[in-house]
Amino acid sequence: MPNQLAPAEVWFPILTQVVFAVVMAVALVGVGLALGKRVKNKVKDSPYECGITPVGSARNRFSVKFYLVAMLFILFDIEAIFLYPWAVVYRELKLFAFFEMLLFMALVLVGFFYIWKKGVLDWAVDETSDEKIQ
Amino acid sequence: MPGNYMPSAAELFRFSPELLLTAAGTLLMIFEAITSPKQKRSLPVFAFLSLLAALALAVAASSDPGPAFNRMLQVDGFATFFRVLVMAIGAVTILISTNYLKQAEHEGGEFYSLVLFSVVGQCLMATANELIMIFIGIEVSSIATYVLAGYLRDDKRNNEAALKYFLLGSFATAFLLYGVAWIYGTTGTTNLSGVRGVLLDPQNAPNAILISVALGLVLVGLLFKVSAVPFQSWAPDVYQGAPAPVTAFMATGPKAAAFAAFLRITMWAFEPVKNHWIPVLWFTAIATMIVGNFAALRQSNVKRLLAYSSIAHAGYVLVALTAASKTGTEAAMFYMVSYAAMNLGAFAVIAHVARKGERRVEIDDFAGLGNRQPLTAAIFTVFLLSLIGVPLTGGFFAKFYVFKAALDSQLIALTIVGLLNSAVAAFYYLRLIVIMYMQPAPEGVDTLPEPSLGIRTALVACSLATVVLGVFPSLVLDIAGRGASFIR
Amino acid sequence: MTLLELVLLIPAAGFLVALLLPKGNPKLVRNFALAVSLVVFLLSLGLIGAVTADPQHMQFERSIQWMQSPAIRYHIGVDGLSLWLVILSTLLTPICILVSWNSIQKNVSLFYAFMLLLLAGVVGVFVSLDLFLFYVFWEISLVPMYFLIGIWGHDKRIYAAVKFFLYTMAGSVLMLGAIIWLYVKSGSFDIPFILDSLGKGRLTLGASEGLWLFLAFFLAFAIKVPLFPLHTWLPDAHGEAPTAGSVMLASVMLKLGTYGIVRICLPLFPDAAKASANWIVVLALIGIVYGALVAMVQPNMKRLVAYSSVSHLGFVVLGIFSFNHFGMDGAVYQMLNHGVSTGALFILVGFLYERRHSLEIVDYGGVATVAPWLTILFVITSLASIGLPLLNNFVGEFLVLQGAAVANFPWAIVAALGVILSAVYMLWLVQRTFYGATPAAVKSHFTDLSPREWAIIVPLVALMLWMGVGSGSFLPAVRSSNDQTLNLVLKSTYARQSSPPAELVGRVTRPDLKESADAR
Repeated sequence: MPNQLAPAEVWFPILTQVVFAVVMAVALVGVGLALGKRVKNKVKDSPYECGITPVGSARNRFSVKFYLVAMLFILFDIEAIFLYPWAVVYRELKLFAFFEMLLFMALVLVGFFYIWKKGVLDWAVDETSDEKIQ
Repeated sequence: MPGNYMPSAAELFRFSPELLLTAAGTLLMIFEAITSPKQKRSLPVFAFLSLLAALALAVAASSDPGPAFNRMLQVDGFATFFRVLVMAIGAVTILISTNYLKQAEHEGGEFYSLVLFSVVGQCLMATANELIMIFIGIEVSSIATYVLAGYLRDDKRNNEAALKYFLLGSFATAFLLYGVAWIYGTTGTTNLSGVRGVLLDPQNAPNAILISVALGLVLVGLLFKVSAVPFQSWAPDVYQGAPAPVTAFMATGPKAAAFAAFLRITMWAFEPVKNHWIPVLWFTAIATMIVGNFAALRQSNVKRLLAYSSIAHAGYVLVALTAASKTGTEAAMFYMVSYAAMNLGAFAVIAHVARKGERRVEIDDFAGLGNRQPLTAAIFTVFLLSLIGVPLTGGFFAKFYVFKAALDSQLIALTIVGLLNSAVAAFYYLRLIVIMYMQPAPEGVDTLPEPSLGIRTALVACSLATVVLGVFPSLVLDIAGRGASFIR
Repeated sequence: MTLLELVLLIPAAGFLVALLLPKGNPKLVRNFALAVSLVVFLLSLGLIGAVTADPQHMQFERSIQWMQSPAIRYHIGVDGLSLWLVILSTLLTPICILVSWNSIQKNVSLFYAFMLLLLAGVVGVFVSLDLFLFYVFWEISLVPMYFLIGIWGHDKRIYAAVKFFLYTMAGSVLMLGAIIWLYVKSGSFDIPFILDSLGKGRLTLGASEGLWLFLAFFLAFAIKVPLFPLHTWLPDAHGEAPTAGSVMLASVMLKLGTYGIVRICLPLFPDAAKASANWIVVLALIGIVYGALVAMVQPNMKRLVAYSSVSHLGFVVLGIFSFNHFGMDGAVYQMLNHGVSTGALFILVGFLYERRHSLEIVDYGGVATVAPWLTILFVITSLASIGLPLLNNFVGEFLVLQGAAVANFPWAIVAALGVILSAVYMLWLVQRTFYGATPAAVKSHFTDLSPREWAIIVPLVALMLWMGVGSGSFLPAVRSSNDQTLNLVLKSTYARQSSPPAELVGRVTRPDLKESADAR
């Protein structure tokens, strides 16, 4: 471990790189601003929607279920990601890792059970049973 | 890295309170999903009992102190002290909450399971001997608390509080994590004892600037968690917006745990470089006391008032930390206990008076409480007198020990500022007493129902604790002294 | 359990019991409180024998360890200095309970409970021999008085109560700081132990250290006394408090401050006390004259009496800081006198208020024609307050003036001005209230004293006469206690330049005070 900061010369390449990165970024945006031709019309100002002409208002309400599903997807997705590093060290940790992951999966399962029972996954029920989602 | 990672039975026993609480919290989620609304009544009882069982386990585990899980946890007197404290806080929170949630028509097992999870996180913070464990503890505790703050999701104030708490909280933990990374970079370890070892080793001493920056970043995260100036601005908004029982919990539990981690980091790991952090804490302590007390003077909302008061109290604890001594650590530990007792009690009264929708949280809503419910008012007065620091209450001895520790360390200016601050503080607590006893209830005020069994139990427990701490402080101080024995 | 402990603990227990008594029965609470306070008074009389026999040493001493760390002891005792102050407190409490018999109608049980707690608090301050215990009782006595003013006071009661609390609190937190500092230095809160350490040189305080500690204590005491620029809470507190509150405040609580100066400030920090004596005396003199002048122009009777207290307490401080036997004995005696005569004045003003429901002097006039006995007693009390010979205040004021004259003659001249002014405002008050034309409202409302009121006021008036002609019953105990304090102060290293050699003053030329008091 270095007792002191390295002398200034050592830092020079890094400084060069930082300067270069900044110059590059500023230049690219700047050149675009300076040379680009600006067109202002209705089509240009409208939101980009994969090339199709936008239809209706952008301020539509989405059903809360979309958000719920999105959030649940992220949660379970991230939990699944834990399996990768686990697999990497599995050989080393042996049985310990096995039980750990068993416990982890059990907990994930409890979460799954919970949202199921709470009705979050009841997708096709009619509006009247909305309050079932808690 | 070869080695046996399988925890031994002794290690599991040391960790058993957390295991129990996690299991109980998970079970609560399952129960919540499968039970009928009528059966749900027993969920808080289950949560309460599991907290008591975990508390007993924590006490039992202290008979066999030692490290656990590759020295990531350190179960000693200090850890036990704070573990028992946060579990007791959790138990009282449940007592306060049941009736409140019933009134809000939001009863549910999730609430209690979140309380348990948060307590687990706080226990981790108290037990951790490893910066990463502290970080995990903070996250576990905080995420549960973020949700609790927004628990009544139809209430706009709850939503706002939860979002603010979440955003600012993540920001602060990011700082903390950044600091941990710096520490790892400079010392090559994240273990607190390891960091201490590196700092003590003159051959291998890391660069002073780097270690200061690293410590500074960690301190930012911790100071945020204890709502010290200049990182206090979230506290009033969040405390005001969250449901009153949750505010009681937030103001005591996470704060106690954060101070536990704070003490371990400053008084153990970074004790060799204490000259670096003492001046920082000195300024922070003064600023926190002054900002907290003077802002509280102008509040008309009781929850907001107590929020500022809790900022000021964090300032007093920081005075004890600035003393950087064993007596200072004991004083801080004692302070957290008596602070928890009086604050939980005060918020229990607020939850009781506020009732459904929390429409009665202005100071004027307490008018005439001395006549309307003499006993509730009397108990509230005990808490307020304790917050002022009148003798024979826990709050007095808490301040006394803090200032004694400060004078022991020759912090004369800090002591004088602190003492004058406690005189200023008397003013806003007195306003509440004045309104309860000296102003009549307004015409046509609706009758206040008798407090529920849970609130009554909580009030009796907290007021007893406040008075006992005020008459026989050595009961707790001796335990704190043994807990602080890791400091030379 | 010693007698002194009973005097201290019975009121505290009475406080708890009074809170638990059934709320719907005010008569029961009143009788209970009266019985408790009378028992305590009688018990406190039992202290006299042992203390007067040996007033130099602490009697009925009791010292138990309260807690190990910090080493706080429950250490109490009574000597010649505190004896009469304890008895004054126990005497005035039953009187105040009788005073409030009819006038307190709301929250009755709470009121009497607080009266008993107040008694426990003030007695605790007078008998504590442990600095920590002293502070605890000091703060405890604050709480009931705050409620007495705030709940049962007049229109501006809340403002007055909060002001009272904050002033006292601001002073006492600094005192707490000083107490902790002394503990850190000496390892003990025990006053006799600290004194012993100081005397034997085990504990030394640097000059500036001693001065700062002295100032921290003195500020707390000076606010309570109250000394001139710190007095502004007093007229508000007195003006707004119910009669019983005013009486306890004036007669007992103000004495906590002067008692603290004599018991703690002087023996512990003699050098600092002497170094500060000059400016303190100047403040006391300003207080004497200023209090009297402001009292003169008060339209409200209670505020008038309150300002007269500022003036009278100035005498006490002047006497203490004259550092000789005359001044010191006079000061302590004056504490008692002021307690009796100003207490009686507040009670009599309370009687007037109960009849006319006004404290404004302009609302009165010609009361003498409708209530002659009330008038006679009021006049006697006023004359006592002025310092007429044969009445109590004369002895105290004379001694204080004598002490001031010995210390520094111009002081006595200024202080004597205060005596003259006191005659002006008191007699003017009597004239405007009791003589002249009788307004119709006075005529229709006034009755003379009821038996209960006789029972209240006669003991006090009798005491004024007794203390005026028989000061020998009270002074010797005070005097020998003061001997010790003065010895401590005078033998210490720092000598005051402006006065004659202090050693000579009391010791050699000291006349027998009893004679000088009786010879008039």
